[in-house]
Amino acid sequence: MSLNRFDQEADPIVRLSDISKRFPNGTLALDKVSLEIPRGQLLCLIGLSGSGKSTLLRHVNGLHKPTSGSVDVMGMRVSEAANKDLREVRRHVGFVFQQFGLINRATCLENVLSGALGRLNWPRYGVRSYPKQLRRLAFDHLDRVGLADQAYQRADTLSGGQMQRVAIARSLMQEPQMLLADEPVASLDPESSGQVLELLLKIATEENMTVICTLHQVELALGWAHRIVGLRAGKVVLDRSAIGLDQRDVMDVYQRVDVTGAPTSDEDVPTSISNS
Amino acid sequence: MSFAGLFGGFSDVAALIARMLPPDFYQLSGIISATIETLWMALLGTTIAVLISFPLSFGAAKNTTPNKFVFALCRGIITMTRAIPDLIFAAIFVRAFGIGPLAGILALGLHSIGMIGKMFADALENADAMPREASVSTGASKWQAIFASILPQATPTMIGTSLYRLDINVRASAVLGLVGAGGIGFIIQSALRSLDYPSALAAVSVIFIVILAIEFFSSKVRASILGERSASVVVVRSQSERSIRRTGRDRTLLVDAVTMRSLVPPLTSDRKSRIISVWVYVIMLAIALGTINMPIFSSFGYFDDAWRIVAQLVPPDFTTARSELITGMSESLAIAFISTTLGLFIAIPLGLLSSRNIVVRKMVFVGTRSMLVVFRGIPELIIAVLFVSAMGLGPVPGTLALTLVTAFFMSKLIADTFEEVDPSPREAIFATGATRIQELFGSVLPQAMPALVSQILYMLDVNLRSSTVLGIVGGGGIGFLLLGSIRVFEFGTTGAVVFSIFVVVYAIELVGSWVRGVLDKAN
Repeated sequence: MSLNRFDQEADPIVRLSDISKRFPNGTLALDKVSLEIPRGQLLCLIGLSGSGKSTLLRHVNGLHKPTSGSVDVMGMRVSEAANKDLREVRRHVGFVFQQFGLINRATCLENVLSGALGRLNWPRYGVRSYPKQLRRLAFDHLDRVGLADQAYQRADTLSGGQMQRVAIARSLMQEPQMLLADEPVASLDPESSGQVLELLLKIATEENMTVICTLHQVELALGWAHRIVGLRAGKVVLDRSAIGLDQRDVMDVYQRVDVTGAPTSDEDVPTSISNS
Repeated sequence: MSFAGLFGGFSDVAALIARMLPPDFYQLSGIISATIETLWMALLGTTIAVLISFPLSFGAAKNTTPNKFVFALCRGIITMTRAIPDLIFAAIFVRAFGIGPLAGILALGLHSIGMIGKMFADALENADAMPREASVSTGASKWQAIFASILPQATPTMIGTSLYRLDINVRASAVLGLVGAGGIGFIIQSALRSLDYPSALAAVSVIFIVILAIEFFSSKVRASILGERSASVVVVRSQSERSIRRTGRDRTLLVDAVTMRSLVPPLTSDRKSRIISVWVYVIMLAIALGTINMPIFSSFGYFDDAWRIVAQLVPPDFTTARSELITGMSESLAIAFISTTLGLFIAIPLGLLSSRNIVVRKMVFVGTRSMLVVFRGIPELIIAVLFVSAMGLGPVPGTLALTLVTAFFMSKLIADTFEEVDPSPREAIFATGATRIQELFGSVLPQAMPALVSQILYMLDVNLRSSTVLGIVGGGGIGFLLLGSIRVFEFGTTGAVVFSIFVVVYAIELVGSWVRGVLDKAN
């Protein structure tokens, strides 16, 4: 496989080789993590807060760079890529936030349309400033997340689960090869959480799109993921297909006591992009 | 100036007003066309200011500015235009562009940048950063992300600010005529000069009614545009038949749009009123441009003359009129301090009388409130002109005029503060058997004190700006030297005056914000 050439067809789409990340404050957030993620897989990352889930996710789209090891995404060596190449990768990688990141005052349709900005040349303002075929596409994506009827409602009139679905429609609008979701259901009620994960699974299966999702609810991960990766203190301690996995195997991930005395408590690991 | 002189002034003004009555409307058509010109000036001036402020605010907001240098430059322009009063810009522009509305429009346009630019930039800075991060993560460029996610959050504040400034500028443009910059101020000035007092009163009352009407109208428009009624969420409240029918219609439109998958937003009543507002504005703008004779469009050579005069302002010449500069500036400061203090003494009882939680009789506070609303409608310089006409030139009429304006304005601020006072300590003090007056000093004043102090500082700030222009109508202070230096073409001195005003106003603003910061921390 040739490196540093962008290849949308690459499979596995993500390859992490022996990556470690030590933050400037000395915290070892990731410790020799290696993962290969094929196309079309819904992978759930579980672990305590501070175990390195979010840090791992941010290595995939280059928001963080590893201290050692390499990250390849779609054939591009993200861990060494220049900013211009990174933007190219990010255009093809959707990111779903815990807090949605919607513009409250704008309509759902306008929020979804803003996902297409990476393909457009000029700044846009308002629904009518986007080309008609993009508006049609935005309607299709809203339909897909079940919110086409709310297209002209303001985003802040929706429930949390609906807002997250609009945010997912916005990510789909950028026509990504892969979706990264950072605790997408952490601020949602159980029913909405189920709907959002069902949607992510549907996207992964129907579009053959890779979805990497950090979660802290084990039951949800067991219920929806193809594959579950557990992190503890920056190390991969579990990496198995979700089929046949039971609650007990998974709970091991959450064991707090570690004989070596490595930091396993809820120490906060910085996840902001300024540390990259 | 003596206190006897100060209070003697009021009887002179009473005598003058007696001579004005009854108003004589024989010039009515002239008054009306001047009033319309005043309105168009305000509209055009505000438009210019908004057009300049919009790009400026992106440079002056921390989260959108390209770099530190642009940030400092934009903030600098905003601070400077705010510190120099519009009347001073007008006085200079009248020399540069000749007598007429153009000077006034440019003066309003420049001075308003100070407030509009600052409010716009603050609105951008207050926008939630999350949506922008989300935009950037989809691969949007910096400016795409700003337009798609920061700007929509700031638009309501931007529209509100512009309308509010239009309101202020209608008031301001009514007095620009005093220095020859067009509008009704010109008619008032010449009527007073020719001792035609009844006609002056006629003009004053017409513009006064127009100002009140515009204020009422613009607050309605602001409320309806910025009502933040969610565009399409349909909540049928127990309101009038008509509004239920309207929400019903909105819902139908919405359902139609959804079933048709309309690619164009449905025409809800909200959108409709927005579209109508925009068209009304465009039509008014077209009429204004057509009505007002602005030679700026016909010849560009015009700008050369103007530029030559503006260029002569630098370097400022502090030596020629050194002693006048010092006297004038200290006189302005004295006027500001005295009128703020005296105004405060009048404002406290007036404020008490117009707070509904302190005065028991509804008649009293409603009466005081409405009287104050009416008096606040009169532009301060018009009051100053009246006092100068009654008492002759000098700082005393200027001080009296500012005192009155302070009293009208402060009493509203004070009343609002008193009404926000927490009622439970008051009850506790009443329960100890205290009289109403004891309770007032024991619980209301201590609670209101921090807010009062910052209001006094704000008032001082406002009055200092005003006192620098009083001299233009003969009310004492540095404005007299300013106008004089323009008349005799000593633009170096003009530059020095403008510079000094800028420094003093800016210094007072810094002191004020420092004190307010200390107060905030203390609480």
